[in-house]
Amino acid sequence: MQIYKDYKDHADFLTVYVREAHPTDEWQMKSNVKEDVCYAQPKTLEQRVAIANDFVKRFNYPTQFGIDDMSNAANDAYAAWPERIYIIEQGRIAYRGGMGPFNYHPEEARTWLAARYGEVKHEASTATPDKKSN
Amino acid sequence: MLKWVGAAVVLLILGAVIGLSVMAGGLRGAYGMVRYALPHMHRGTLRVGDDAPDAALLALDGSSRFHIRGRTGARPLVIVFGSYT
Repeated sequence: MQIYKDYKDHADFLTVYVREAHPTDEWQMKSNVKEDVCYAQPKTLEQRVAIANDFVKRFNYPTQFGIDDMSNAANDAYAAWPERIYIIEQGRIAYRGGMGPFNYHPEEARTWLAARYGEVKHEASTATPDKKSN
Repeated sequence: MLKWVGAAVVLLILGAVIGLSVMAGGLRGAYGMVRYALPHMHRGTLRVGDDAPDAALLALDGSSRFHIRGRTGARPLVIVFGSYT
């Protein structure tokens, strides 16, 4: 979550949990089995809340966190599934990331923030690669 | 003529299966992608400059709710959508 650490003084961050991408009862990935991330697709909002809390606790996730409801309203409004990043400024879309996984590029959001607030550089040995939870 | 059309269709299907299998890491992955992923993947219609849609979200406590627009203010809001798996 390096991008959050680097720009939290300039921007707000909100993570939104949407329907699972690779649950055990759909298209499960071997990598998730290996990492013990095995959940069935939630059928109730309570199940979504439980998985979201597991995620936040496991990674000590620092940003504001919201959970999409079972009507998938946020997902539908933002075409968010399976993963996507937006930046909103003054009520308008300022950056629209591509649809994951193939077009999910958190570095683009970093570039947007860097253009606005300046680049934050890290030593090569301590830099954390930007991945899904950026 | 019909034979050539049939052959072209078979080749197209074969190409699609091979392409999806490469992308998804195997035949099983290709099936999973077609069966479970593609129906939920949408490019969407939002563009840079559009009004940001609002939606109600549930907080981690499982009871309180808030709106995306309620979290937008003077500073930019970076929204990351995703799931655990």
